[in-house]
This record gives sequence, C-alpha cells and structure tokens, in this order.
Amino acid sequence: MKKHQRSFVSLLTALSFVVLAVTGTLAFVRPFSIGVVGLHALMGFVFVGLIAFHVANNLNHLSQYVRSKVLWLTLAITVGLTALFVWQPGPIRGILALSQNLGPATDQFAFKDDGLVYNYAPTEHYKLALTIRAGKTFDANTPPHVAIWLENASFYHIKTLHEPDDREAGRAALPYWDFKVRGWEEAKRKAAESGKDLREQQEVDGVSGATRNSSFDPADYILPADPDNPMPYRLLIEIDQPDDDQPSLVYSVEVDNADPQAFQLLDLVGYPKREENDENGKEVWALYFVDERIDSALGLIDSALLTIDRN
Amino acid sequence: MNSSNQNTGRREFLQQSVVGAAAAGLAITSTSHVTAQTVPDAAEPEVTNEVDVLVVGGGTAGHVAAIQAGRAGAKTMVMERASCLGGMTTRGGVCFPGLFDAWGKQVIAGIGWELVKECVELDGGTLPNFAKVPQHHWQNQVHINQFLYYILAEEKCQEAGVTICYHEFPQAIKATSTGWEVDCVGFGTRRRVLCRQIVDCTGGAEVAGMLGYPRLQGEERQPGSIQFLLDEANNPGRGTKRGGAGLLHAIYVHGADSTNSRTVTEASLTGRKAVLDQVRKSGQRLMHLQPEPGFRESYRIEGETLITVNDYTSGRVFDDAISYAFYPVDLHTKTGVRPKPLKPGKVPTIPLSALIPKGSRNIIVAGRCVSSDRLANSGLRVQASCMGMGQAAGVAATLAAKSGTTPLEVPLPEIHALLREHGQIVPGKA
Repeated sequence: MKKHQRSFVSLLTALSFVVLAVTGTLAFVRPFSIGVVGLHALMGFVFVGLIAFHVANNLNHLSQYVRSKVLWLTLAITVGLTALFVWQPGPIRGILALSQNLGPATDQFAFKDDGLVYNYAPTEHYKLALTIRAGKTFDANTPPHVAIWLENASFYHIKTLHEPDDREAGRAALPYWDFKVRGWEEAKRKAAESGKDLREQQEVDGVSGATRNSSFDPADYILPADPDNPMPYRLLIEIDQPDDDQPSLVYSVEVDNADPQAFQLLDLVGYPKREENDENGKEVWALYFVDERIDSALGLIDSALLTIDRN
Repeated sequence: MNSSNQNTGRREFLQQSVVGAAAAGLAITSTSHVTAQTVPDAAEPEVTNEVDVLVVGGGTAGHVAAIQAGRAGAKTMVMERASCLGGMTTRGGVCFPGLFDAWGKQVIAGIGWELVKECVELDGGTLPNFAKVPQHHWQNQVHINQFLYYILAEEKCQEAGVTICYHEFPQAIKATSTGWEVDCVGFGTRRRVLCRQIVDCTGGAEVAGMLGYPRLQGEERQPGSIQFLLDEANNPGRGTKRGGAGLLHAIYVHGADSTNSRTVTEASLTGRKAVLDQVRKSGQRLMHLQPEPGFRESYRIEGETLITVNDYTSGRVFDDAISYAFYPVDLHTKTGVRPKPLKPGKVPTIPLSALIPKGSRNIIVAGRCVSSDRLANSGLRVQASCMGMGQAAGVAATLAAKSGTTPLEVPLPEIHALLREHGQIVPGKA
C-alpha cells in the first residue's frame, strides 16, 4: 500500500512538474495570458503540496543528500543564480527581451532631470514608450508619485504598468488609480463568481451601440489572438507632486491597433474628486474638468508622448 | 349630521369610489374638467393666415425656432404633421437631449436649455454636473419627461404668441413679391399661409425639396431606433426592473427613413412588429411604446456652406458661426455604432450659411438637415445642436422678415446680439 502511495505521489509530482515546465515556457515565449499564467500558478500550488508529500516519502534519501558535500555547492549555485536574475545584467536582460511576455520583465521606469521615461516591451513586435517631458513645477529631487495603467473601453482597469515604489503613500496620493484598481479587483471577483465569460455579454444596443469589450486579459488588447479584430484600450497616467496642496491629475490616450499610430500625445482628462458613496456604501471617485483652482499641478507635465513601435 | 361631517363623508366616498374603481381596473384619475376655446370658423375647411415667419416642423429645432421668432416679435406660426411638439425628442422617444456642454463648460443654452431645465426641475429630476468628466458622452445627456416637455413647449409657444397648427403639412409653395404663399392640408383643413420667411425644420428639408433646391442623401440611412418598455407579466405597476429609472429598450430599425409618409409608415410598422415579437418571446407586458421610431438621418440640404467632417472634428470656428455643436462622430450601422469622440478642447461650430439652401432667398433650415457631409451630420444631428440651430434660424428669419431681406443678408452682429439677448451662447468674441 505504501509503495503504491509513493508511486502515486512521485508520478503526480513529475506530471505536475511537466505542466509547470510547459506553461512556464509558454508564458515566456507567448504573450501574457491569464489562462496560461493562471494554470502555471495554480499548478505551482499543487506542486508545492505534492513536494511536501514527496519529501515525507523520501526523507531518508534526502537526509543523506543534506549531509553530503554537494549541499554547499548546490546552495552556492542557487544563491548565485538568484542574485544574477534579480540583478539582471545586460546579457540576462537580452534573454528576457526574447520573451513575448507582457509581464514586467522588460519594463523600465526612470526619473530624469527633464522628466521621466517608461518603456514597456511585451514583445519584440510591440514596444511601447512613454516619454513625459517635465513642466515648470516638476522637481526631480522630490519626484512625483506616478501610476501608469491600462483600461479597456468599458473603463475597467486591466493592468497596472507602473505603480509608485511606496505603494501605500502612492495609493493615497493617486486616489483615482487606487479606485480603479479596487474596482478591477472586485469586477474580476464578481466575474469569477458568476462563472460568465464577460466577452459573451456584448449586445448591439439600439441607442448607444455595443460595448466593445469587457475582457480582463491585457493580451486581448495589446496582442489579440485575432489580429484582424483588435480591441481599443486606453493608457492613463496619474501624477501627483507631494505637499503641493494640489490634487493629482489624470492624463490619457486611446490606443487603437485597428488604426495604428506611431506617436500619440496624452490629453489631460481632469482631477479626481470623491463622490458620494454608492448605494452599497462603496467609495466612488470621478474625474472633474480642471478649473482655475488648479495651477502648479498643471506645471508638472509639459507633454506626455506615447510611442508604439509595432515592428 | 352637520355640514362638516357631510363634506368629510362625501370626500371619503369619492376617495373610496376612485380606489374602488382603480381596483376594478378602471382608469379614473381625475374628476376635474376643462373646456377648449371655440375655434373660429371651425366648420370652414379653408382658412388663410398672414404671418411673418412660418416654421414648418415643430420638432427638436422647430419649436425652438418658433418660440424664438415669437419672442423676438415676429408673427409666427408653427406647422407640425403630428400631434405634439418636440419631434424625435418626444414622439421618437429620444428624451435625453444633449449635449449642451463641452469640456466642462456649457456651450449651448438659450431656449432649448430653458425648456430642458424647466422640464427637469418640474419633474423632480437632476441635471448633469458639467464640471464632471463623463466617461461616456451620453452621461451628460439630460433625461427629461417627454410628455411634460411637449406640454411645456406648447405653453412657451403660446406665451410667445406662436400659432400651433397640428396635423397639417405644406402641399404647394410659391414665391410672392413679399415672401411665400404656402398651401397646407390637414384633416378637415385647407390652409393658405402668406409669410415673409420660412424656417424649414422638417428634419429632411422637405420644404427645400418642394421648392426644388438640391438635397443630399447617403446611399443608405442610419438605422432608426424604436423605443419601448417591457415589464413582468401580471405586474400592473409602472416601475421598471432597473430600479424605476424608466429606461427604455430600443431596437434598431434598419432602413428607417423619414423621407415621407410612406417611408415613415413602413419604418413604424417594421419597428412595431419587432416589438410584438419581443413581447411574444419574452412573455412580458408591453408598458410603453413610442408612436414612431427615432429617425437619425434623411435628406440634408446642399447649402451655401457644407460642413465637412474635418470642419467638425477640428472645431473650425466659421466666420459666420451662429451656434456651437458638440457630440462624437456617431454613425450607426448594421453592426451598431462606435462613437468617435472629439479631441479635447475641440468644439465644432455651425455657420449661418450652412442653414441656407444654395441660391435660395427667404428660407432657412434648422436641424439635422443642415448642410453637412454624412459623417459630420452624424454628430450635428443631435438635439442640443438642433436646438441651437433652431434658435439661430428663428432669429435670422425674424430679423430678415422685419427688414425685408433674406436671412443670409442680415448683418451677423445683429443676429449674434439678439441670440445673446435670448440667452444663447454665440461662438467667437462676446
């Protein structure tokens, strides 16, 4: 009986490892997909559990390994590789650049004296660069809080590309982004609970037309499975200079891969203001047009240029 | 029994009677009654009127044009083929006029806004906050009670001295030395109107067409939308499943064409059949149905100036601009619509010369038949813009009638001044 149990755990561990290896490779070479990454992550949890049983079943052998000299060599190799991959020197970044993943592996955010730049290359065929030219009130010594995110045409947050280093302070300083992220998390939860595919809920409405998209998967917008039927999305930034007694400002631009443009300037949308809570008591924020009370905040950004290289 | 007790008892009896009757399914809502004024020569089928301004079509642009002309001192008549003012705003059920604002500021006001605001306030509704950035353009449309709206419009017409002629339409028009002789027909009425100026607010530039001025029309028309409301079976209440918000359903009626009575009949029959199918499929009760579809497109005039989509999207300020317009480029097709919003800060304008049929005198149009290409028209056709055009046309026609000239020859500063006097926002310097 014990032999069967050991075989069962070992085989299950090996098979789940195969799934992990395949999905891990797919996640590297193909555009980010919640399906693939979700499978990878969930199977990873199963794998961790199986490992516990596997260790219990092979405790004698493992204790021999731990007592051997090989332990130190393996530990050193593991620590070395971990440090290398965290540091990501040029060659490593070169390897990562081969990835088609839309994850953060190839994004870069940097403050400079004349503004800030953000590069995001989900694939070698879709490179997005946001160049924000500093305005008169931009101070590189006390850099502003900045969040960059994507929304679908239904105004749902679908992916945060960059969030402030100090997440808590950033959430307080950038309330609109924070509100959007929380809305996204809740909408995803509700969608999961309902078990419905939101993309199947589109209807042509005789007055205002169809809602174009409701997917929560960024890949559906940036690199859709059907390139002939891309869905538009919006890139937004929220920026706030600490201690200036001014609200944050939100800028945005719509990206439509059906009408590709290499250069697009972001437009100022407005400033966030808290509304009355909704009927469920939940916090609601809305954007308001900039009025005469806002001055120095307008000087943070001279221009924000989005460049997309669709090579 | 004293008289107080007698009165109380009678009141209770009436209340109980009404409640009892309602419970029995009878529709007693009031015991009050009114008496209509006696119409002079009601038995006489032929009448003649002489007016300064004849507004043909009492729709979204027409009733505003008529009120404006009346308020500006012109003897005015508005002629409407149906039985209420407001056109697509009321009869078509598009009772959410917009957009009066652009980029945080109001850009269209005047008589249209006065009516909309009063209607909302009387109805206990709320007006949108124009300072708030709308996520969708339609969020700043103003939801109004369509029934209240056309009664208010009638009241304002009458206060302005405007004669309302329902169920009538021109049949023949000829030019005279002072303007026009317009022969109209309604049921039981043949009316001859002698007028100095005509404001054509028929939506499809019907008067301009009758006079032989060239009109434009796309190879196909945008679909209309027939609006209706379903509710649960055996639910006698008037609430809706959307929390009583009274939102209507809409079905596209492809090919809906408001060119003439035959095309309107066909569109109405098609739309109603589709609604009947919905009722049968859903098993729900039909609570509400608009009398005809909301038409989006018909003829446009070929005017002295044609507003192109580039003029529209670039927010070109025409030298002879008389009102603003604001709406996305919004062309509905068989697969729906994907509105293309205007770029931030852009607010299109409407020139006076786009309301004048090319080569014409003593006639001006207002509304969705404005001279424009199809894409520009898809944004210009909406109600607030049509109301702005209607008011400007009412002013231009009145000033032309008073000075014995034609609208295009009225000095622009005079038009602007009168528009401002009547609360309208005029493009350019104040």
